[in-house]
Amino acid sequence: MSLAVAVGVAMLLSTLAIINALSTQNARGAWLATSSQISPPARQATSQHSSSNVDPLWWKVSTDEFENQLIVRVDVAATGAQSVVPPGIPRLPGPGQFYASPALAALLRSTPASELGDRFNTTEIGTIGPLALPSPSDLIIVIGDNARTLAHVPGATKITGFSTSSSNGGPDTLGTTGLQILLAILGLVLLFPVLVFIGTATRLSAARREQRFAAMRLAGATLRQVAVISAVEAIVASVMGVAIGFCMFFLAKPALVHVPFAGQPLEAGDLSIGLIDILLIAIGVPVAAAMVARVALRRVQISPLGVARRATPSPPHSWRIIPLTAGVAELAFFAIVGHPASANGQIQTSLLGFFLVMIGLVLAGPWLMMAGSKIMATRTNRVAPMLAGRRLSDNPRGAYRAISGLILAVFVTSVSVGVVSTLLSDHGSTSSNTLASKTVTDQFAFSQNGSVPAVPTTVLASLHSIRGVTGVTLVYEAPSTTRIDGTVPDINGLGGDVQYGLVSCAELVTTPALGHCRAGATYAALADDIAFMPVTKSVTVAAATTWPTAHVSHDIDTLPVQLVAVATNGSPSAIARSETVFDRSFPFESSTSLFGQINMGSSQLLSQLKTASEVVILASLLIAGCSLAVTTAAGVSERKRPFSLLRLTGVPLGVLRRVVVLETAAPLIVIALASALIGLVASDLFLRSQLGLTLRLPGVAYFVIVIGGLVGALAVIGSTLPLINRITRLDDARTE
Amino acid sequence: MNVSPATVDVRSTSYLIEARDVAYNFGETPALRGANLSISEGEILAVMGPSGSGKSTLLHCLAGILAPKRGEIWFSGERVDTLNENERSKLRRDAFGFVFQFGQLVPELTAEENVALPLLLGGLRRSDALERARRWFDRLGISDLERRRSGELSGGQQQRVALARGLVAHPKVLFADEPTGSLDSLTGELVMELLVTAARQDGTTVVLVTHEPRVAAYANREVVVRDGLVSSLVPQPLT
Repeated sequence: MSLAVAVGVAMLLSTLAIINALSTQNARGAWLATSSQISPPARQATSQHSSSNVDPLWWKVSTDEFENQLIVRVDVAATGAQSVVPPGIPRLPGPGQFYASPALAALLRSTPASELGDRFNTTEIGTIGPLALPSPSDLIIVIGDNARTLAHVPGATKITGFSTSSSNGGPDTLGTTGLQILLAILGLVLLFPVLVFIGTATRLSAARREQRFAAMRLAGATLRQVAVISAVEAIVASVMGVAIGFCMFFLAKPALVHVPFAGQPLEAGDLSIGLIDILLIAIGVPVAAAMVARVALRRVQISPLGVARRATPSPPHSWRIIPLTAGVAELAFFAIVGHPASANGQIQTSLLGFFLVMIGLVLAGPWLMMAGSKIMATRTNRVAPMLAGRRLSDNPRGAYRAISGLILAVFVTSVSVGVVSTLLSDHGSTSSNTLASKTVTDQFAFSQNGSVPAVPTTVLASLHSIRGVTGVTLVYEAPSTTRIDGTVPDINGLGGDVQYGLVSCAELVTTPALGHCRAGATYAALADDIAFMPVTKSVTVAAATTWPTAHVSHDIDTLPVQLVAVATNGSPSAIARSETVFDRSFPFESSTSLFGQINMGSSQLLSQLKTASEVVILASLLIAGCSLAVTTAAGVSERKRPFSLLRLTGVPLGVLRRVVVLETAAPLIVIALASALIGLVASDLFLRSQLGLTLRLPGVAYFVIVIGGLVGALAVIGSTLPLINRITRLDDARTE
Repeated sequence: MNVSPATVDVRSTSYLIEARDVAYNFGETPALRGANLSISEGEILAVMGPSGSGKSTLLHCLAGILAPKRGEIWFSGERVDTLNENERSKLRRDAFGFVFQFGQLVPELTAEENVALPLLLGGLRRSDALERARRWFDRLGISDLERRRSGELSGGQQQRVALARGLVAHPKVLFADEPTGSLDSLTGELVMELLVTAARQDGTTVVLVTHEPRVAAYANREVVVRDGLVSSLVPQPLT
């Protein structure tokens, strides 16, 4: 038991350490979420002044991207000598100067200026210190500006201090708040199988001592005395386990740093365990072990003549599948009829559906296991499935208990991976070789009117001169006098009147990702949200759209420009150079991205969530394997005599091994695959009802991780198989 | 005793099993010290002796469960002690049946599935194996117990199910180690009568380890194991 508790405690500590590390990382990045609402006390890196007598700092945080990597750009401008200084840098950069994170500094050095450096067009004066970087690989730049310039930039605010928490209501530039919440949920999901593992080990250990307790009763011990002895033994064993678990954790800590839980490696210093965590585990686990031992003892009647089960466990009833069916039906209903109109309604219907499915999975597990194992036992011609099926159908709850932690973990993470994979596959930059992934758009969404008066011809010339650029299209504001033939398609399905911009058909033909004109048309009317809200629709919709012809009274090239689209041959260099031209020409007014791609921050958030989900799937499968290994060992020891006698009557060891493997592997594989399948189905129904998308199957990595996790879990279970050989040794067999 | 007559002539039958100068130790403790024993086909042999004399060890060696440290075991003209574990397992599965004192039924299986187990291991289809198993329930007078689990059977009923399992695959030899050891005398006699009757009807050789003279009395011949050596008693006439 001590060893099993030790492994469980080590896993528990690792999970808590990872959660703490992510929290620490987020706290280091909290300054990037600073807004004008931040009030004192606030963190000041170098100034000792209180925030009441400091000069405000002009402040704007925006995001950029380079080859699918997020760059956080911070523009600052002092309003006086006492302006606050962001953490990680010794002083404010002056106009034309910048501090970059070490990773960005290295990238700037290794990348041609025309692809990256020219976007900032400033001089590096130092690097941002590690205290201000969530992760060493983060790309962050702090650029000094002139206060007069920055004061007129939309979105720039004056601040007098920096946020120390990402959940303070400020702009969540990096999506840290959401990520923190989601990772906390995943962390909790991972805790569940760990706790089940510790509980299983403790319970089975208590059950194994039953015979000895019967002997004590024969010697005159009362039930109370036996209960006390049981509790003391459990506490002693678990205290030893906790001690060993702490040692194992500290030994494994250096390796944990490399787990890309949130897509990026952790820092060794971040993997810390708080005093409260330590006390909770050091005290909580032994106390819980004593309680579990007490409960296990209450399930049996220990008399001086031996141990008797109170009753054969009653079989699970079929009502257990009702909540699961109801949950899937609810999600399917809204997938068919569409989601409720209100945001609250959408949240409530989704949450209710997922809640029902999760409760349903936990409840239905034993019944499904009983039904499946009965079929296995009665349909087979082979001995091993018959024996395994009978044992499972006799006590499906017992078999299910060891893997109950797995079912929710795999379900939650499969939903997460399913939704994220669909969003990323539809809109992420990973969808290579599509028209959208080769087209760069620059929206002037951050300018005062959502447009700029004009795009200088020098900018257009720069774009056309980039090797690999195959076309440039400008989308202009449509004057009120515009007439259009028909209606503009609502490609995002947002409803209401579709606002539109104007485009020259001669240009549009060069950027096919944006759709095309009717034959013979000179101008067309494009939905002006063409590069907005792509999450609800596939980017391929735009390319397949024929836009209605627009009639205007004069040339459109004097109209304000809402969007510029650049078609490239897909080369990273052409894309990066185009983005650099935009960033340099319109540093504050525009948002540059690949066409239809989700905001880079959101994209990174989704990727991190996907990675975390995959790590949780892998970990929970391995933990479930440990739980099953403990159950297997106990089950084999319990059947020492029948197994020994079967073996000496000539039953091959392989048959006994297959019995044990089937008893554990069959539930593990079936439950894991069923949870994953139901998770993917639920995510498909959610995507259909809420976003109008259909599930895109996760990439190969997901399936490799699920199968790899299962193989790992089976390997852990397999480690108990030599036990069968040992306890059924013919030399030790007693037949009389 | 109400035992069916048999027509086996021990003297005219070649030996089916032989132990030649067999020795076996448990650690430093010798269990057998040069035991010799010959058993003819169709014979019912009782191996007697006090506790710890080595009679169960002798049975284990004869059945190929244990490989002796010294000496030879022969079955049907072939050496058994030189076979590897897999070959000996196959021999036990195909040619031998076993009945032990208790705890030999698989608790998860019904009585009929327990009896069918050797047939299923031999590759017989489930339905055929169960059908053949059910015949033994009629034969042993427990035809209403097929669907019960071992926990729902009395000791005597369990031993009859075990006997059915030991004989269902028509083994050449049935090894029985204290088969009535956990039963009251009346039930023990019933089980022994069934065992002897069934064995004689099928011509099965029986090696019966017991320390009870009343049980040994069912055999054609008795030998006594004492201090790891076998000494013969006067053979009883086959009836």
